[in-house]
Amino acid sequence: MRTLALVFKRMLEGISLGLLVLLALIVVLAVVYRTLGMSLIWYDELASVLLAWLTYFGAALAALKRAHLGFTGILTGSPLPTRKVMFWFSELCVYGFVLVCAYAGWYVLRIFGSESLVSLPIPLSVTQSVVPIGFVLFAIAQLASTRSAYEELVLQTTVREDFH
Amino acid sequence: MSVLFGFIALFALILLNVPIAVAIGLVAIVGMVADNGFVSVYNAALTLFDGATNFPLIAIPLFILAGCLMNTTSISRRLIDFCLALVGFIRGGLAMVNVTVSLFFAEISGSAVADVAATGSVLIPAMKKRGFKPQFAAALTSSTASLAIIIPPSIPMILYGALSDTSIVQLFIAGVIPGLIGAGLMFLVCYRYALKYGIPKEVAFSLRNLARSGKEAGWALMLPVIILGGIFGGFVTATEGAGLAVVAALVIGTLVYRDLEMSQLYDALMEGVTQTATVMLLVATSAVLGLHLTETELPQKLTMAVTQVTTDPILVLIIINVMLFLLGMFLHGAAAIILTVPILMPLVNQVGIDPVHFGIILTLNIALGQQTPPVASVLATSCAIAKTDIWSTTRANLPLIGVLLLVLLLVTYIPAIPLTLVEMFYR
Repeated sequence: MRTLALVFKRMLEGISLGLLVLLALIVVLAVVYRTLGMSLIWYDELASVLLAWLTYFGAALAALKRAHLGFTGILTGSPLPTRKVMFWFSELCVYGFVLVCAYAGWYVLRIFGSESLVSLPIPLSVTQSVVPIGFVLFAIAQLASTRSAYEELVLQTTVREDFH
Repeated sequence: MSVLFGFIALFALILLNVPIAVAIGLVAIVGMVADNGFVSVYNAALTLFDGATNFPLIAIPLFILAGCLMNTTSISRRLIDFCLALVGFIRGGLAMVNVTVSLFFAEISGSAVADVAATGSVLIPAMKKRGFKPQFAAALTSSTASLAIIIPPSIPMILYGALSDTSIVQLFIAGVIPGLIGAGLMFLVCYRYALKYGIPKEVAFSLRNLARSGKEAGWALMLPVIILGGIFGGFVTATEGAGLAVVAALVIGTLVYRDLEMSQLYDALMEGVTQTATVMLLVATSAVLGLHLTETELPQKLTMAVTQVTTDPILVLIIINVMLFLLGMFLHGAAAIILTVPILMPLVNQVGIDPVHFGIILTLNIALGQQTPPVASVLATSCAIAKTDIWSTTRANLPLIGVLLLVLLLVTYIPAIPLTLVEMFYR
């Protein structure tokens, strides 16, 4: 299980890092080409799509590390039974949200038909598929990090090093 | 009424430990479904994608990447050495170095947390050795880094500019004078502290030493010139300036200084990816909330309610400042910007406040929020480095928070302070 979780983490890290590097390369390339008088017409559209992909793959990685911005002050200062209730309530909210978004994201892919980006022949159903994929990965990441988060926030014992 | 209930639910969810991005998205989707039925979730899914494709926001991961590259080379150390030679001869020299080096970092990285991580790990231990109380060392590193977010480039300004459709370049230049005033006032606080606790000068001033460290840090000092020169000179946009910052940091780290540490770089990049994604997911879910608020016409209703009471910009700004200050104590900067900007902009425009002026006011409030617990991300990072308690550090931080507050009041009620350079160069 731990090995699977680590493979999952490395996969998210690799994809996110690749997207970040690609994004930086495209922006720099666009500046160079424009300086040479040959503006890249696809640059801003593709860069925007890459930003969205980086957002959702990175968000899954952040869920694995439990790094999404939040306020733990009240939970950590409460007695154990309250901490348990608050923790599981919060988990439930996260699963509810990401699963609804994953379903809705998958459902809307069919409406794009054969439409593609304006400047490149990439189908919109491919670019927008990051929403359902990203939220499913988010749910898996949340599940994989539940135990360490429970130990840290509810039991308030030392955090395992798996994802931090 | 349903909107009010929505906001109460939002803050309740946040206080119950639901991640802010999820809380925003949940409230928005539940509100939309309540108003228009389940079909709204498909609209929300489309908005979640569109919200994450805001082109100017590409600058955020790129500036974070540039900061990561800078922190894994000797650029940070060289800048600190140069600042030591420049201001270390003043009484309480290391505190002066702390303020000065933050100004340089601000011009490169755009992120207060990155600044604290880079400068704090070197300066806080050195300040402790030199007789500064650990709480003061942590407080100063934290406050100077927060002050630095009003000096370009600045991630909060990029977020605000993208959300309010305001020129990011004008925001950048508007932050220069308030940033320098704040730095000057922080110098005075440090000088007074050094006198009170008998902390000596760090080094004697030497032109030779200054020239030597200036030469060693020459390329690092060129970074702000390349980034800001490109942006202010109109050669590149803020987004492309961020791309240039990445290339410049990479070239200087690998080809000039040749000390880029790959093992550290990987960890720093992963941290950068995580920071970017957490902010961007907030942006995406807030786009859904924005859609819901537009449907309920909340911004227009708020504008009408406030303007029925007063249309005086000074009074409106007092109300907004108090609200932002309180919000900053409980929300992270990015979340505070994302939640408030779409709601407040119609009001700001209606009472005739310049959006660039308001952007600087908002950014200063974010800087204050980073210093006021319980949620104070930058202060918490600094305390972690100094190994100090956040509340005792906050007590030591009060004079510096006072400086930020004074700069906020000056900027709020003397618009010429942020707007003079904008008028001079862009209008």
